[in-house]
Amino acid sequence: MRYFKNLVKPYIAWTAVMIVIPIFMMLLYSITNSGNSLVNIQFTFENFKRFTEPVYLSVFIKSIKLGLITVVICLVLGYALAYIISQFKESTQGVLILLVTIPMWINMLLRTYAWISLLSDNGIINAFLDKLGIGPIKMMYTDFAVMIGQICDFLPFMIIPIHTSLSKMDKSYVEAAYDLGANPVQTFFKVVFKLSIPGVLNGIIMVFLLSISTFVIPKLLGGGQYVLIGNLIESQFVSVGDWNFGSALSIVLAGIILFAIKWMKKIDTGEN
Amino acid sequence: MKKIFSFAVCILAAAVLVGCGGEKTTLKVYNAGEYIDTTLLSDFENENNCNVVYETFDSNESMYTKVMSGEKYDIIIPSDYMIERLAKEGFLQEIDKNKISNYGEITDNLLSQPFDAENKYSVPYFWGSVGILYDSTKVSEEDLEDGWEILKNLKYKEDIYMYDSERDSFMIALKALGFSLNTHDKAELDKAYEWLIEQKEIVNPIYVGDEVIDSMISGNMAMAIVYSGDAAYIMSENPDMRYFEPSQGTNLWIDGMVIMKDSENTDLAHKFIDFMTRPENAMVNSEMVGYSSPVKPVFEELKETVYSEIEAYVPRQNGDKDEFFRYQDAETKKYCAELWTKVKAQ
Repeated sequence: MRYFKNLVKPYIAWTAVMIVIPIFMMLLYSITNSGNSLVNIQFTFENFKRFTEPVYLSVFIKSIKLGLITVVICLVLGYALAYIISQFKESTQGVLILLVTIPMWINMLLRTYAWISLLSDNGIINAFLDKLGIGPIKMMYTDFAVMIGQICDFLPFMIIPIHTSLSKMDKSYVEAAYDLGANPVQTFFKVVFKLSIPGVLNGIIMVFLLSISTFVIPKLLGGGQYVLIGNLIESQFVSVGDWNFGSALSIVLAGIILFAIKWMKKIDTGEN
Repeated sequence: MKKIFSFAVCILAAAVLVGCGGEKTTLKVYNAGEYIDTTLLSDFENENNCNVVYETFDSNESMYTKVMSGEKYDIIIPSDYMIERLAKEGFLQEIDKNKISNYGEITDNLLSQPFDAENKYSVPYFWGSVGILYDSTKVSEEDLEDGWEILKNLKYKEDIYMYDSERDSFMIALKALGFSLNTHDKAELDKAYEWLIEQKEIVNPIYVGDEVIDSMISGNMAMAIVYSGDAAYIMSENPDMRYFEPSQGTNLWIDGMVIMKDSENTDLAHKFIDFMTRPENAMVNSEMVGYSSPVKPVFEELKETVYSEIEAYVPRQNGDKDEFFRYQDAETKKYCAELWTKVKAQ
C-alpha cells in the first residue's frame, strides 16, 4: 500500500486549492467588514452578532424545522419504497432503482418549474379540481408547495442508500428471526431495520444537508418572501452585495451541518 | 482520381472553415432576462461574422456583483442609476456617437438625463415606468383611486405580486408615503420599511421576479407590480389585464447600452449599439418584448399600430411626481439593503 502513497499527493494539493483555501476565504470574510475588497482589513465580530437578531434567528429556526420535516417524510416514504424494491428479484431491482433515479437526470430547475404549472391557481391540479366541483385550493407560495418540491427532489437521495444496505443484508437473518419465533413486526424492527441503519443515517444526512441549504425551491415555489438560510445567503452575495454577512451565515450553516453529521455518526457507532 | 480530388476539396473546405472559426471575434453581451428578441442576435452574428455570447441577469444588483467579481463583458444593458454608478466607479468607456448612425432619431427626452448628463456613456435601449398591472375582472376601479395604498387593501389578500427588487419595493413605499424615491433620510427609509412590513402583515404579497410574466398571463393573481413593457406584453397576451400608474408618482427609468472599459472589441461593440438602434431592428425588438422603444419613429409607429389598444406601451411622460432613480451613496445603500433583507425575512 505504501507504494501508492505518492499517488495521494496531487489529491492533497487539489483539496488545498479547491476546499481549504475557499473555506479560509469565507472565514476571513466573515470576521472582517471591508466588503469585497480585502485591501484594508478590519476585524470584527459584527457579522456574527447580526445573525443573533430575532429576524435572522427565526429564519434559521424555520429552515431547520422545514429540513427536519422533509427528512421525516422522505424517510417514511423512502424507506417503504426501498424496502418494497429490495423484495424483488435482483434484475428487477436494477430497473426499479433506475426508475427512481430517472427524474434526477432532468434539471432540478425544470422539475421545480413543472411544479409551478401543476400547483398554481389556474394550474393543472386546480383545473382538475374545478371539474370535480371543488373550489380552487391555494397551493402555490405555501409551506405545502415548498415541502412537496423538496421531497420530490430529494427522495432519491433517501431511497438509494437505504436500498443499498437492505439489498446487502443477509436474508438468513430474517429466516433465523422467524425460526426463533419472532413475528413479522418484531422481525422488521429488531432485525431488518437495525441492519439498515447505516443506510438510513446516510440518507438522513444527505436529505437534511440538501434541504437545509437549498434556495431555488423555496424561491420558486414559496416566492421571494419565503426566506430560508439558503435564500438569505444567496441574497447577501447576489443582490445585496454584503459578502461579509453572507460568509458569516455560511459559516454558521456549515457548523450546523457539521454538528448534524457528527451526531449522526455517533448514533451509527453507538448502534454497532 | 475523382474521389481523391473531392476528398482533397473537403479537407480544404474544412480547413478554411476552421480558419474562419478561429478568426471570428466574440462579443459578450450581458442583459436583463426576457429583454431581447433573440433572432436579432443571430442576425447580428451573420452580419458581422462574429460570435455573440449572450448572458442574462435578474437584477441590476446581481449584474453589479458579477461585474465586481471580475467577469468581463463588452456590452451591458443596465438601468439609469446603475449606469451612473458604473460610470462613477470607472467601469465604462465613452461611446463614439459618430459610429451610431441612427443616434439622431433617439427621443430627446431620454437624452441628457442626470444619470448621464452628457450622454457620454450610454445609448438608450428601452424606457418605461413602474406600475400596477391588474386584472379588470377582479379589481374594482374605485379601489384604484387609493393609488399605491391599494397594495394594502385587505380585499386582495394573497392576491398580489410584488417585484423582488430592493429599489423598486422601496420606491413604492416611499411614493405611497409621499417621499422622494431618492431619499437619503434614514427616518423616511424607516417609515418605508414599516410600510412594507405592514403590507406584508395585511395582504401577504408574494415577491417574484420574471416569472410574474407567465403567471399574470395565466391570470393567477389580481395585481402585480411590473415594468410598463412587461405590462404591455402581458396585456397583449391577456386582454383582461390593465396597467395603472398611481398619481402619487412612480419611477421612470431608462435602460441603456454601455461599453465596458476593458472591452477588447470596441469596434464591434459600437456596431452592436448601432445595430440595435436601427429602426428595423428596434421595431422587431420592441414589438417582441413590449417595451417602449427610444427610437422615435419606431415608438410612434408601434403606438399607433400593434400597441394601439395597450396603454402600457406609452408610459406617463409628464407626471410631476415621477422620478428617475439616482446613485445611492454607500451608506444609504447599505442601510436599504439591510432593511430589505429584513422585509423579506420577516
